[in-house]
Amino acid sequence: MNEKELILAARGGDRDAFNELISNYTDRIYRLAWKLSGNQEDAEDIFQETFLKAVDNIDSFRLESTFGTWLYSIAMNVMRTCFAKRKRMQLGPIEDFLPDHANGVNSKLLDWGDPHDLFENAQLREMIDSFLSRMSPENSTPFVLRYMEDMSVKDVAEVMGLSVPAVKSRILRTRFALREYLSEKFREKKNG
Amino acid sequence: MDNCREYLENLCAYVDNEADDSICKEIEKHLADCPDCRVMVDTLRKTVKLCREGREEPLPGELKARMEAILEQKWKEKFGEDGEDA
Repeated sequence: MNEKELILAARGGDRDAFNELISNYTDRIYRLAWKLSGNQEDAEDIFQETFLKAVDNIDSFRLESTFGTWLYSIAMNVMRTCFAKRKRMQLGPIEDFLPDHANGVNSKLLDWGDPHDLFENAQLREMIDSFLSRMSPENSTPFVLRYMEDMSVKDVAEVMGLSVPAVKSRILRTRFALREYLSEKFREKKNG
Repeated sequence: MDNCREYLENLCAYVDNEADDSICKEIEKHLADCPDCRVMVDTLRKTVKLCREGREEPLPGELKARMEAILEQKWKEKFGEDGEDA
């Protein structure tokens, strides 16, 4: 069966069809929840709640998007609720991340060279995870979906209910902010 | 040096190799004269590369099994034992 046939069958109560639909997404939803929450407990709650809601709503899925986009949208709503009470780091405008020379100061940005010369893979990963879990999900989510889940900007916009320009802007700001955060870590390491 | 902001809108597309040729040429012309922007572009690229490397959190087998049992129950509540709407 193709995806549409699987969805129609699942809507009619075919459990096997539903299982086949979700089989490609269980690992991905868990990974996404982990990256955005930064801890296993929340990741597990988000994972479970997402698939329970998918069962709850499968019969109202109108085939207006792919199954994956629909499922990610559910995960996004679950995460919004989960993260609602958390205080997260907010980002300033993109201009804040530009080299100082844009303001007339001749800055020297740190040339990273090979980051693996400074930190081991596991340490780099930990730094990135730590940064993303402290970010506001409004900014971290588009970045993670785009670059760590390899989703197109258009699909990210659909999943998050945002315009394409808004998604691009959030991705860029997060990318600049993460770049700056890592630069600081590398500078500290280089300076001993 | 003062026109780095003009490239901002297209920078992400450029570092992801998704910008139009004409925009690439403009940015590259700027990069030839701007060491900071060269570092900026290089480190923005490496930022994403680092994100794509490294470990992935695997889905714990126990969690997957638990989720399957919960979904089984939920499915029966919704559609009944034989797949009909409850």
